[in-house]
Amino acid sequence: MAAAMELAVLPRQVEAQTNNLNNTGFPSYIRVAIRESNPWGEPDTRGAIIYVKTVNFDQYCRDVIPNEWFPTWRPAALEAGAIAVKMFGWYHHLHPVTVSGFTFDVDNTVNFQLYRAQSNQDTTDQAYYQTRKLAYVNPNLVITELPYRAGYQNSPNWQYRNAQKMSQWGSQYLAELGRTPYEILNFYYSGKVLTTIPKVGGL
Amino acid sequence: MTFNGGLRCATLLLALATAWEFPTSQKGYAQTSSEEKHQSARYDPAVKSSKFGHLRVKVVDGRTMEPLSDAEVVLVENGRRYRTDKSGLTPWIEAPVIRSSRFRLLVNELHGQLTLISYKNGYRDSIHSGVRMNEGATTKTTIWQYKIEKTGDTRVEPVFYMEPYHRLWLIQLADRFRKKSQMGEGYERP
Repeated sequence: MAAAMELAVLPRQVEAQTNNLNNTGFPSYIRVAIRESNPWGEPDTRGAIIYVKTVNFDQYCRDVIPNEWFPTWRPAALEAGAIAVKMFGWYHHLHPVTVSGFTFDVDNTVNFQLYRAQSNQDTTDQAYYQTRKLAYVNPNLVITELPYRAGYQNSPNWQYRNAQKMSQWGSQYLAELGRTPYEILNFYYSGKVLTTIPKVGGL
Repeated sequence: MTFNGGLRCATLLLALATAWEFPTSQKGYAQTSSEEKHQSARYDPAVKSSKFGHLRVKVVDGRTMEPLSDAEVVLVENGRRYRTDKSGLTPWIEAPVIRSSRFRLLVNELHGQLTLISYKNGYRDSIHSGVRMNEGATTKTTIWQYKIEKTGDTRVEPVFYMEPYHRLWLIQLADRFRKKSQMGEGYERP
């Protein structure tokens, strides 16, 4: 029984250990599963996968951030969000899934991150390129998912910090208090480091 | 009595009869009618706003995704028209920020909404609604237009696209009206 459990766990650990910044290149693309829309025209989180679209990774991040964070929010909140969106996408690019015969990294709904083609905005583009060369990873440089949820307005959302998820409203709240993107990330995700990604540029 | 004089007289009599018929019970109706007249006298189809954002529209071919030059984009709220250049882009537009009074009691409304129509000969008209504008902020949006094919397109009508509300705004909206007994999926938990 113990051996079986070890076998079940071991491959995941080995896989996780292999995906660190030193041996994993920055993604050039990501596979996005496009789900069927519901009758009122919104992509359905449980809708059938229609096709898988290969999207430039930078473009994917730029087309996610304005749908997840308000483009009018403070730059520090947007930059913290840009890093979270990128790390989330990167992690899933390294851990693709196969559903109904389609292999993909993420889908276009809130199952992963809300993606809408050509929805990028100037402020969120700037936040993305400002932080493009930065990664927020485990101390051993292993790439991990940085999850986030909406949370509540006008609050740091301590409960999200306890759950190791960033609150989006909390990121704006902390940005309004003058916190930097690093301080915002550090507030929600403990035990991680901000570092530069080898061979990746920014603005 | 001339014909016009007779008509005026008849109108006066009708007005008197109407006033007599609804002396007090229909007072509210009479007032509304007066307000409507006043409003129609100063009716202007252009929606005015004292606040503006900066909008740039890109028009592309919906099938090839290539930019469409020389398309004309109309900002419905004020009727102004803009042409796209070789890159399919309009100039930067000073666009009004209009916040709907429908939402005045909700979360402070997070964005204004505009409607655009793009016209280009040989293409289906494209109506693009719900473009979010905020005071002093920049907004970019893309309109898709579909080429009219000689075969297959037997019924040519405008294409409509409504930009979805932002998910953060929708969460706020639902929470604002939720009763404690209406947990649904429950308040968001981390």
